[in-house]
Amino acid sequence: MEILVVLIPVSIVLIAIAAAIFLWAVNNNQFEQLDKHGFDIFEEDSGDES
Amino acid sequence: MSICTISVSDMHCAACAGKIRQALTTLDDIQATHINPVRRQVLVEHGTSTDPLEILSTIESAGFSPTLAGLDDHDARQRDLLKRLGIAGLAMMQVMMAAIALYAGALDGIEPAYERLLQYTSLLFTIPVVCYSAIPFFTSALSGLQKGGRLSMDVPIALAIAIAFTTSLFATLSGEGEVYYDSVVMFTFLLLGARYIDNRLQHRFELTGHLLAALPKTAWRLDDGTQRSVGIAELMPGDDVWVPEGAQVPVDGTLADSRALLDEAMLTGESDWVDKQQNTEVYAGTLNRGPAFAMRARSTVDQSRIADIAQLAEQAEVRDANITRLTDRIAGIFIPTVLGLATVTFIGWQLIDPSRALIAALTVLVVSCPCALSLATPAALTAAMTRLRQLGVVLTNSQTLERVLDVDRVYIDKTGTLTTDTPGIERTEVLARDLDEQNCLAVAAELQRHSSHPYARAFHALASADRPPLSDVEVVTGQGVRAQLEAEGGRREVRIGSATFAGAGSATTGTEDRDVYLAIEQRPVARFLLSNQIRPDAIASINTLKAQGVAPVMLSGDSENRCAETAAALDIDYLARQTPEAKLAAIRADQANGRNVLMLGDGINDVPVLAGADVSAAVVEASDLVKSKADVLLLSSRLSPLAGLFSLARGTRRITRQNLLWAAAYNLTAIPIAAFGLMPPWLAALGMAASSTLVMLNATRLLSFGNGERMEA
Repeated sequence: MEILVVLIPVSIVLIAIAAAIFLWAVNNNQFEQLDKHGFDIFEEDSGDES
Repeated sequence: MSICTISVSDMHCAACAGKIRQALTTLDDIQATHINPVRRQVLVEHGTSTDPLEILSTIESAGFSPTLAGLDDHDARQRDLLKRLGIAGLAMMQVMMAAIALYAGALDGIEPAYERLLQYTSLLFTIPVVCYSAIPFFTSALSGLQKGGRLSMDVPIALAIAIAFTTSLFATLSGEGEVYYDSVVMFTFLLLGARYIDNRLQHRFELTGHLLAALPKTAWRLDDGTQRSVGIAELMPGDDVWVPEGAQVPVDGTLADSRALLDEAMLTGESDWVDKQQNTEVYAGTLNRGPAFAMRARSTVDQSRIADIAQLAEQAEVRDANITRLTDRIAGIFIPTVLGLATVTFIGWQLIDPSRALIAALTVLVVSCPCALSLATPAALTAAMTRLRQLGVVLTNSQTLERVLDVDRVYIDKTGTLTTDTPGIERTEVLARDLDEQNCLAVAAELQRHSSHPYARAFHALASADRPPLSDVEVVTGQGVRAQLEAEGGRREVRIGSATFAGAGSATTGTEDRDVYLAIEQRPVARFLLSNQIRPDAIASINTLKAQGVAPVMLSGDSENRCAETAAALDIDYLARQTPEAKLAAIRADQANGRNVLMLGDGINDVPVLAGADVSAAVVEASDLVKSKADVLLLSSRLSPLAGLFSLARGTRRITRQNLLWAAAYNLTAIPIAAFGLMPPWLAALGMAASSTLVMLNATRLLSFGNGERMEA
């Protein structure tokens, strides 16, 4: 079971990466308006979105 | 042009708002300032040359501490919770994995070195959970304690997490005793999850009631016939505004074009579209369902009817502070009890089986959080008031919803809610053989076009393109219209009106007041039966009221005959020829007999009578909205919203009772089970999370209350 000594640190690193990706996603509005893209087809393709 | 929203947490009153407004006038390029002291928010519309930070520093120099609320507070809070929840979830997976190994090790034996490794791994993953994810519980518990030693809802949760973590930490460092890392992360994760969901639901209650947010941000102004896109706050009284097809009306005003089809459901709850004529009022927030039209602004957005409604609704929310106080009182009694029970559990288990003492006490702390109990009433009330606003009813305070339950008699002193001004033509009888129905109706419509009598209005909709040629039209007040009809055989006199006027008095039997006759040369040629003027929804509403044990009574200043007819059609009691004094006396007499009376009247003229009733309701016009002192404001002159109020009040009571019952039952069963050590900690956390979410979900049902009936109407 010595392998645990290697695998546990590996899992810690992986989780840290996963957490970083998750925080990045939340901070960059990836979870805002999850249904928005479904409605995109109804929008006119207009140049000025002001 | 852009808009920035600024939160000013230390703005408490209108005076503060005035100061801020004053300070902002020193800045150039500010187009409008909207201050909401209730939400403590300042909305500034500014040109591109103004930096939002400049606005902030200006407010700051006026002696306030503003923060830029670029996002809705709610969004920021949700995002924050989501991050904490995500981290807790990731950590929980790892800690649980280690926990399985540790439990298996405890049963089958494990090498101490591996046990230590697993414990330290768990500790490593638990630290971010306690130090980051669980922070909201700690801060809320502490801030309650700082404000005069108040024990908030989060005290037991914060305590459970803190105790479990420190005990485990000491056990890990000293190498002796049990670790509870799995319980720590799981409590945090599940309780945060519940909080996240509750927040979302709560936001739904508020969002649907948030009227002003639904207004468009820009509008088309007509400057000398050319359309220019401007911010709606820029529209001034007297501006000409273009409303495209399918768009929302941006401000209150009058219709400049000859016709428009508007959907006013947002304001009045009325689902039928309204056909508006030139120079009639159109309101901000209503939807243009017909072709584009031009209108002339009568007010700014701030002074529009929809802004008044929003203001009233917010005032009602502010007055609901006593519900919050009730929540605090529940917590004040409940939390010490829970802490006591947890201590007793701990001591009890120390005597029986010390190894289980701590976990049993922690379970009691977590399972018994009174969140569900404290959410039960406010969640239902908020949802109910939001729903009422959709139906076109604004309550000026939320206690009204409870007082409506006691009402057993409704005086309806607003005949407009029962009858319409415009009757319909129920049937046309042609009395002359040489004419057909089409001809008769065309002539009748053309004659009636000149009259404004209520009966004549029934014909107005029929006016056709090829009008029969008429001359010498003369309107005889109270009788009818007579004119000369140009026909092949020369000019002939045509008349429309009552039986006697048309010369049909003796010719037919069973004449009624409501019949209208068309005559040519004194010979009646057609009889039109007008439908009675009862509003189609009135009968259904009256029945709804009766079904709930409420007796509707019609009050009217009209004559006995007219009242009797309407009352008979509706099957209700009536009091005719009533003076204000007599109305008040009738209410007083009922109250002396132990009845609770709701009075539906005209918001302005009936004030003393309204004040005498237990619950006052008024049909209000745009300009009188804020002036009105009634408890219940109806935004359209229909009875169905009032009937809806009664149903909803009962629905709210039912939901509140269910919520309270469920919350009490949950706590009463869960606490003993936990205290006797029969409940695993995960079930405690799950039970607590589910109990509060269930209460919120139950309250959401009120948001769609009465949807079925409205569809039919």
